[in-house]
Amino acid sequence: MDGNLVSYGLQYAGYLIEASLILCLIASRQRKRQVPLAFYLSSLLAAEVARACVLHAYGLKSRQYSDVYWRTDFLVVISLFILVCLFFRRACLHQEKMWRYLRLWLTFICLLVVGISGLLFSHQYGNLFTDFVVEFNQNLYFTCLVLNTLLYLLLQQIDSADDQLGLLVCGVGIQFAGPAATLALVHLMTRQGFAESLFEFTIPLCTLGMLLVWAYAIVPVRGRAVVTRSKATVLAEVTANLNV
Amino acid sequence: MILAALILILSTAMFFFYFQVSCQKILRRQFDREYFQSIVNANRLEFPSLRKSLEEFGAPVDYPRLRMMLKCDFLALTYLLKNAANLNQRYSNEERLLILYFRWQFLSLAVRRLLKVGERKAILRLTSVLQYFANVVGQRVNTVRFGNLTAADYLLNL
Repeated sequence: MDGNLVSYGLQYAGYLIEASLILCLIASRQRKRQVPLAFYLSSLLAAEVARACVLHAYGLKSRQYSDVYWRTDFLVVISLFILVCLFFRRACLHQEKMWRYLRLWLTFICLLVVGISGLLFSHQYGNLFTDFVVEFNQNLYFTCLVLNTLLYLLLQQIDSADDQLGLLVCGVGIQFAGPAATLALVHLMTRQGFAESLFEFTIPLCTLGMLLVWAYAIVPVRGRAVVTRSKATVLAEVTANLNV
Repeated sequence: MILAALILILSTAMFFFYFQVSCQKILRRQFDREYFQSIVNANRLEFPSLRKSLEEFGAPVDYPRLRMMLKCDFLALTYLLKNAANLNQRYSNEERLLILYFRWQFLSLAVRRLLKVGERKAILRLTSVLQYFANVVGQRVNTVRFGNLTAADYLLNL
């Protein structure tokens, strides 16, 4: 029960931060620059809300929940791939030649993932759409993990001055690496009960970690670590001090 | 089985790598001046002298005392972060992340001590987190300073 409470707490904290970040991005002066982030966060939030609604209505082991889970996962993974591509675009903002080359590679990688998933899927039988989506999601997720690491290396290579992008990429890295490690651990462990409860905690924790890093990167510095006091208050205190 | 173990090792390493890089990027934040000095003086914090002795002399350190010094400075600074000139009376996101980072580095210091590998590096990382915290507290206190009171005077008068 306590474990469930913590897990729900982490989940709802994640929703709140996602919603606040979206609002912050909409209100931001650099709105246009932050469109990729807003797009990804919106799809993440939409997917989570849809899953929560279906879970509440039909339960964890229902077919409806399983369908909605994998369909929304498809949406999230696709928007993640688009986000990583747009990060590449931002990293190569002043290097058009490199971007043209990278664009070709990214398109090729996307087609390759579709092809490999199709090939693996053709050897399986069962629920056509869900099986393909599960295969495709796993492959694209792993591809995004590799691409994100390559992007980090690219940023180091070109000695990028865009500090915000560096932090955003690190946030995505935390979000990718944590669940990947947990999934591998689940696969290796024999005690499935413990593995599943570990899985329940780490995914919301990693998402929360990513959101906190993003929040640090997005929210302007002037908004932090500053205590504001009205002129009148300071004046009153100075006057009182002088009178003493 | 081997593939899963490989993914586990690589992903765990990448997770800690990204976490460390994120924290170090936060720690690289530039303050318009060295606010930490007044906080160090007012609270008799020991991390600057510890760092200086490590950087300049590379002096071998008394480990139990070092742990105690770092822990006391950490407790004092986290208390100040939460309570000194902080209207919300709670930590910000990056402070929470850095507190986690400090704890992780503190644990890593114990492991490095056992293995006798890169102890100095871990201590310097811990002091850089403490310096960041002191800078944040100093900057906050500086904004509420009035009259001829300095940040240190303000804290002493609390």
